[in-house]
Amino acid sequence: MSRIRKNYENSFAHRFLVFVKGDKPLPEEDHVEEWKHRVAEVKETERAENASYLELAETDPYEDAKRFAKMSDMRVFRRIYYVLAMLMCLMIIGMLIMNVAYMPAFGSEDTPTNNEVAERYLEKGSEETGVVNTVTGMILQYRAFDTFGETNVLFVAACSVMILLFYKTEPEADGTEKRKRKKKAAARHNDEAVAQAEAAAETPDGSVTAPSCAWPQGMQEKETEPERDIILQNVARVVVPMIFLFGLYILLNGHLSPGGGFSGGAVIGAGLILYNAAFGFRATRRFFDEKVYDIIKVGSLCLYALIIAYYLFTGANGIASIVPLGKLGAIISSGLILPINLLVGLEVACTMYAFYALFRRGTF
Amino acid sequence: MEWVRFIIGSLCIVCGLLIALIAAFGLFKFRFALNRMHAAAMTDTLGILMVLLGLIIMRGFCFDSLKLALIILFFWFASPVSSHLLAGMEVEISDRLKDNCDVEETERKGGVQ
Amino acid sequence: MTIPAVSGYFFGSAIIVIILIMFACLLRAIRGPEIADRIVAVNMLGTLTIMVICILSLWQNESYLLDVALIYAMISFLAVVVLTRVYLGVHREHLMNRKNREYFAEYADGDAASVAADAAAAVSGTDNAENASAAAPAGKGGDV
Repeated sequence: MSRIRKNYENSFAHRFLVFVKGDKPLPEEDHVEEWKHRVAEVKETERAENASYLELAETDPYEDAKRFAKMSDMRVFRRIYYVLAMLMCLMIIGMLIMNVAYMPAFGSEDTPTNNEVAERYLEKGSEETGVVNTVTGMILQYRAFDTFGETNVLFVAACSVMILLFYKTEPEADGTEKRKRKKKAAARHNDEAVAQAEAAAETPDGSVTAPSCAWPQGMQEKETEPERDIILQNVARVVVPMIFLFGLYILLNGHLSPGGGFSGGAVIGAGLILYNAAFGFRATRRFFDEKVYDIIKVGSLCLYALIIAYYLFTGANGIASIVPLGKLGAIISSGLILPINLLVGLEVACTMYAFYALFRRGTF
Repeated sequence: MEWVRFIIGSLCIVCGLLIALIAAFGLFKFRFALNRMHAAAMTDTLGILMVLLGLIIMRGFCFDSLKLALIILFFWFASPVSSHLLAGMEVEISDRLKDNCDVEETERKGGVQ
Repeated sequence: MTIPAVSGYFFGSAIIVIILIMFACLLRAIRGPEIADRIVAVNMLGTLTIMVICILSLWQNESYLLDVALIYAMISFLAVVVLTRVYLGVHREHLMNRKNREYFAEYADGDAASVAADAAAAVSGTDNAENASAAAPAGKGGDV
């Protein structure tokens, strides 16, 4: 057991630890009265939580952890734990660095990656696929099936998120009268809050929030949503088209410079998210809702599958592809790589925006 | 001529690095988030202007320097807006606000308080 | 001494200085007592990273790195916007839920007496345990 110095609280190490963690100094030991008060408080809040059905809204999610951290028996154990964790990390770092010493030098000739496959890609790549950027030629032509699998993974991820978030629990059958009454009270209370908020929002100055009756049933915007910011809106009007243009540039230049479907799609999705953060879900739903999402996502995936099928068919039967490769270095060249890039970009942009919207609001 | 361009550009870059250093000092010197934001926003506008201007001068006029100018322009659009949003959030959620600055009581409209 | 040799040394030292500043920002991002401090520090980290990328692109003569820098600028702006919006929304929802719960606590009928009894029992129950754990540090002091 490690011995603790008498004036450890004043020592440099302790003060440095507190500085790094950024919290207040540890509490004194003799605060028994405060402890009792805290326990009573915790009990009361627990009771209140049982009384209400809003279990999600904890007062302090770290209550238990804080209580555990204050137990004085645990302090020595925690210190040993810290030391052991640090030792483990240092050991792993040392092992990894020792491994690095045994690796071949960067760019040396006898590395195992310098084999005939890389040679073939580098020598014949641009004349066989018509791309300048060899990486794009590899992932979209030689290994197009692999990339198709990755796109499918995105599709399945979005689908599973939607399944999990759209799953609605049935109202409990054994709900007693008390619970029902409370729900009714909650509804009344929330209505009051909404009415107050709307009354406050209809003041003549500033942006007026639209009345919630314009929404489809059960799709109202949350009343806790931050109000629209006019400065952000004005900047978004300038910046969002720029972001879309840049994303298109990356998409269309995928076979000429680094970039391509995944990064360009991510940039376009970021533009959609920025538009949404500035103008809200009402404005975004005018051009992007469930129908558009379904059409774009499923359509682009099916077209992609068609192209892959064409490649597989021609490759397996030894037929030369009839799609012309075009001039090396031009925008419209390299056969079917440009449409594949566009389709992958659409897929990725839809998935990014869908994740944002689903986790933020639950629907589009 | 090449040397003159290189020296002017490197002086600009050194200025930008000094500004970033001052901003990092301000992050530790000030005690409250709004003051820290004041220091850090200096890097986003003046610091990036000086560094990228130095790079543009070194590079000469071509497509790359146009892209660098586009980055500066984007930062000048984006940084004040993000500072504005951040300050709005801090004013609303902070419970140390009244200890650190004079607050004028006004009616807050909309939302739940 | 040619310009490429000198510029290599210059760019290298500039990148080292920027990385030192980045470590300072990282310390503030870890420490920052409030969420706004952290967001400010992370935003400044992003700006410094863009500086590094631009300097690298000139040093290595690779113009595609500038595209990366532009995307990075967009993403860091977007991160601040979305973080502030989402955090504000979550904060307001939290406040509203707390308000609702207080309302329920008032509304809960009947068992106020049992609440009080339970609280008293809790206090007396933890009394012994607290005494025991309060005695422990005293023993530790003697050990030292």
